[in-house]
Amino acid sequence: MKKIIALGFALVVAASAFAQLSGNYTWGGSTTVGPIAEQALGQFQKDNPRIKASYELTGSGAGVKSLLAGQYSLAGSSAELSDDQIAQGAVATPIAMDGITIVVNQDIKVANISRANLAKVFHGDIASWKDLGGPDIRMVVVNRDEASGTYSSFYDIFMKSAYADKATAYTRNALVTKENGEVAAKVASTPGAIGYVGMGFAEEVLKAGGRELMIDGIAPTVANVIAKKYPGSRYLYIVTKGKPAAGSAEKAFIDFLLSPKGQAIVKSTDFIPLPKN
Amino acid sequence: MKRRLLEKVTEGALLTAALVSVIAVAFITIFIFQSGLPLFRKVSLGEFLFSTNWAPTAKEPHYGIFSFIVGSFYVTGIALAIAVPVGLAAGIYLAELADRRTSRILRSAVELLASIPSVIYGLFGIAFLAPLVRNTLGGSGYSLISAALVLSIMTLPTIINVTEVTLRSVPRDLKEGSLALGATHWQTIIRVLLPAGRSGIITGVILGMGRAIGETMAVLMVGGNAAIMPKGLTGMVRTLTMNIITDMSYATGDHLTSLFATGIVLFVFILLLNISVQLFLKRSMAGAGRSANV
Repeated sequence: MKKIIALGFALVVAASAFAQLSGNYTWGGSTTVGPIAEQALGQFQKDNPRIKASYELTGSGAGVKSLLAGQYSLAGSSAELSDDQIAQGAVATPIAMDGITIVVNQDIKVANISRANLAKVFHGDIASWKDLGGPDIRMVVVNRDEASGTYSSFYDIFMKSAYADKATAYTRNALVTKENGEVAAKVASTPGAIGYVGMGFAEEVLKAGGRELMIDGIAPTVANVIAKKYPGSRYLYIVTKGKPAAGSAEKAFIDFLLSPKGQAIVKSTDFIPLPKN
Repeated sequence: MKRRLLEKVTEGALLTAALVSVIAVAFITIFIFQSGLPLFRKVSLGEFLFSTNWAPTAKEPHYGIFSFIVGSFYVTGIALAIAVPVGLAAGIYLAELADRRTSRILRSAVELLASIPSVIYGLFGIAFLAPLVRNTLGGSGYSLISAALVLSIMTLPTIINVTEVTLRSVPRDLKEGSLALGATHWQTIIRVLLPAGRSGIITGVILGMGRAIGETMAVLMVGGNAAIMPKGLTGMVRTLTMNIITDMSYATGDHLTSLFATGIVLFVFILLLNISVQLFLKRSMAGAGRSANV
């Protein structure tokens, strides 16, 4: 009898050990998703002490590329997947909403920009803030590198209609930066600078005295993004190769992000939790 | 017998260790060329090297790296124009003029400068040099001159160290002879010590040049990174190394190959620098031999 109990006990222990997720994971991609992923990973690893996972800030394009090449088993993306990526098996799960926010240096006392002018600015057609009703300060355009998902979504949302070829749409006369954080830092510190970031990073510019612009009179507020009134509204995604498998750490992490706890982290990083239903 | 065997084994182990670096260089060379050369099936070498049109993701892609080659040379040239006089002066001071205590303190400062990671130099550039350039010379501050300034500080330790060591190794009789003939200390430094240490000093400058042309992170943070021909000192610049690191993470196909080809160009430049050092040293050694015979 004792033996049977001991055996049963051992089985239970073994089963629970089996159910507990474990392993080392390297994930990465979008720098916009970065703050959410890093905070969520902190909590996720506390809940699953046998999991060690990290998130590398490489940009959405690079993240999905690494995912499809098998280097990552999970990637963050701030851009919708391209047809090509979907054909290769990438599956995107939305985890948050974001409004691409136009940020400017503190010396620019302009509150609003039209969509048409925004496209012109990033095409390099506007040299001075005077042309937009601001002070006579030379405009410094801060752009992202092409690996950036925000670069892609900004193009899709604001520039595609005016400039059909993505490669020549953006001006070359722009600072090319590799992260949202770098855009925020350079816009905040450079007179005449304009750039675009995920809304969670706008705070950094505001803290340094910079401003965020309304687009066609609509401010990047939470309500406007959820209602999709704000033109820069978009989703942030976690991407997996194929549907996330049940019982995998990737599935567990996505479930965690979508849980009330995970969505609270989204909110705490100044992004917008997914609207219910 | 046993001792002999042990000796053989030790010798073999040492030889292997020595070969590791040779093999590494060989593998890197083969790898870079193998990955980069296929580009020239699609793009002519002339267009790659001399076109300024870099549009690797356009519908009709163009791969012209001329502006990055020019950028690399500008940045390196200006950095050396600043670092060489300062480095020489500091090296002379350390070797000849400073008293023991001062030179010990200065030397450890220079060593510290050499061991600071380049990303820290980049942060320093963003926080201090870019605003300085913006306020004095204009522009956005993320510019050719900012990148060159950062690089000049980074190459200083190499130039200072080599200058000092070289001057210290000049035979004492030369210096004493000069002083005995009535030359002042300063005349001795300029007319005797520097010419005698010429080859060492030039080697130091070329080593510094190698460091400057290969530096990536620090210039990436302050150069502006726009894929254009630099327009003056306050214009933005993208160097060969910046071009590779900016696109590497996401490039595919011909675009990726073109980055390896950019690497080949960088590799060839560094190789030429090294070969010129070797040739120069050989020649000046031969020269020294001749003058000793006279």
